[in-house]
Amino acid sequence: MTLAPHPATVKRALSAHAAIGLLAGALLYIVCLSGTLLVFYEEWQRFEQATPPQMTAIDPDAVQRGMEALLATERGKPPTTHFYVDMPLAELPTTRVITDTQSMHLDAQGRLVGPEQIEWANFLYGLHYTLNIPVAQGLVGITLVGLLGVLMIALALSGLIAHPKIFRDAFRLRTRHRGGVALSDWHNRLSVWTLPFSLAIAVTGAVIGLSTVTAAALAERYYGGDVEALYATMFGEEGEPDPAPAQLPDVATALRYMAANHPDVRLTYVTVHEPGTAGQHVQIVAEHPRRLIFGEYYLFDSAGRFEGTAGLADGALGQQAAASNYDLHFGNYGGLPVKIAYALLGLALTAVCATGTFIWLGKRRRRGFDEPRLRAAWHAVVWGAPAALAVTLVVRLTAGNGAPFAALFWGLLALAVAATVLARGRPQSAQELLPAP
Amino acid sequence: MPLLGLAAALGVAGVAVLRFAWSLPRRSVPWNAAGWGLLLAAAIGAALAEGAWGVSVASLLAMGAATIALAEAGARAPRGRAAASNRRVGMLPEAGEPRQIGRRIGTFALVILAGSAVSVGLATAMRGLGGLLGWHAANANALALFTVPVAWAVLCTVLLMQTRRRSQFLTLGLCSLPLVPVLLTGALQ
Repeated sequence: MTLAPHPATVKRALSAHAAIGLLAGALLYIVCLSGTLLVFYEEWQRFEQATPPQMTAIDPDAVQRGMEALLATERGKPPTTHFYVDMPLAELPTTRVITDTQSMHLDAQGRLVGPEQIEWANFLYGLHYTLNIPVAQGLVGITLVGLLGVLMIALALSGLIAHPKIFRDAFRLRTRHRGGVALSDWHNRLSVWTLPFSLAIAVTGAVIGLSTVTAAALAERYYGGDVEALYATMFGEEGEPDPAPAQLPDVATALRYMAANHPDVRLTYVTVHEPGTAGQHVQIVAEHPRRLIFGEYYLFDSAGRFEGTAGLADGALGQQAAASNYDLHFGNYGGLPVKIAYALLGLALTAVCATGTFIWLGKRRRRGFDEPRLRAAWHAVVWGAPAALAVTLVVRLTAGNGAPFAALFWGLLALAVAATVLARGRPQSAQELLPAP
Repeated sequence: MPLLGLAAALGVAGVAVLRFAWSLPRRSVPWNAAGWGLLLAAAIGAALAEGAWGVSVASLLAMGAATIALAEAGARAPRGRAAASNRRVGMLPEAGEPRQIGRRIGTFALVILAGSAVSVGLATAMRGLGGLLGWHAANANALALFTVPVAWAVLCTVLLMQTRRRSQFLTLGLCSLPLVPVLLTGALQ
């Protein structure tokens, strides 16, 4: 008995694999490329703005002063719905206070020292998350990226069926063969050895990307259309809003509680919901060591009294799984060594995307069908996308934070594709390509 | 942490054993089993030591070991002139063949549009089943969120491997069946 699939099945799987690969094509390549770079999101932020006060810890009273100072600048304006403190960490040793409309750095005493200027890192984030598509507040873009995650899973499945000897040949890398053999070997070997990684980031990425649409459908059926109620089952409930004015919450007391009672966790974020209203409450996110969850929510009232946790660390399995999705996708669970591993594996996956289309073009060429314009366009995507990203980074360093990075990137990429396609001549006929008898 | 270290070592050893097993001139069931067994033991050991985090870390180390072995294989590869594959995958028409644009658009619509709708339907049914079985709401909801991409990817693969339109409709129809009680009766609240 053999487990090998029938040759007809293999052939159909190969067709499916090619169809999915060509459908996802350039967008999947760009998502993989940007994701590889985005592994170092914090490091890019430091690169962009090295001047803010550096610290690896901050006094709770300084955080309180920073919050009060920032919210004082917004008096008379529409009130912010949320206030955040991005706590200092080893990989990003700055403290930032953030409202719906602005983000400022703090010094160690809690004084505002200037705006955050990380628009290039944010552009990269937007490129990976939504392909910079702003329609419907990014919903269209993030759903499209989710679809690309689905196609990545399908590529893995169809690739396994289409290559029955893929495991048997897993260490066969004929780097010195010509005529497409080496290219196929690189594609297949990198695919098989990055398979656990690819599946993990494809599934988690697709869940993140498609969750808005899925949650809307589930909420419509089971929660009367209340999407927040659905998410509350996993991430905890937000308090009842009460717009009556109130003093700002005592964040310092909440932070001191954490230091005294949970010294083993790492505080990453403080969130104040509806600050300055009677309905306000404080949420502190803390990373737990050696866990995949992005953190646990520690909940406090406006006086800084501890009320409980959301249960992301020790609640239902579904809560822990949902909370693990993000760090498993972005590689934020083991410091710099895991980030480097993710970047290398991401690079391999990007190479798999690039080589897949080249393999398909090569097969057609060997059968006598040359597509110079198509090949030129693919070259332009593969080499043009990293080049365009590099140009945006140079522009960031020379022209500053306000440059239109997304327009520049997509404009340059479109220009590269158009220019290379136009520079190519007519396709060669099959007659010219076939070897002489 | 010592157990995680042991699990990671088992993972690396599993890769090494598979490297040996797949270099043999004939398939060796014992060596293959030993290699996969070591990888399984690594996963179990890492899970026991540090849960999902441990499995993730041990997996990265095993993939790293495989990459090193692969790099070594690539560096030692001799020059060769093996013929590259030119298997046809049927994505574009060849000389004299019709473009079949309508059929291609139809396939796209079935795989992407109908596939997404059926997957969301399956997730809705999964959520309902969880409710019926008395699961914690977080478990049922999280499982439903994970169901969509996995179901859609499997559907996408299956539909594209089917050559007849009737088979594709049948697949979509069968996969939609779990949603029927949810839509019609509302019993699975």
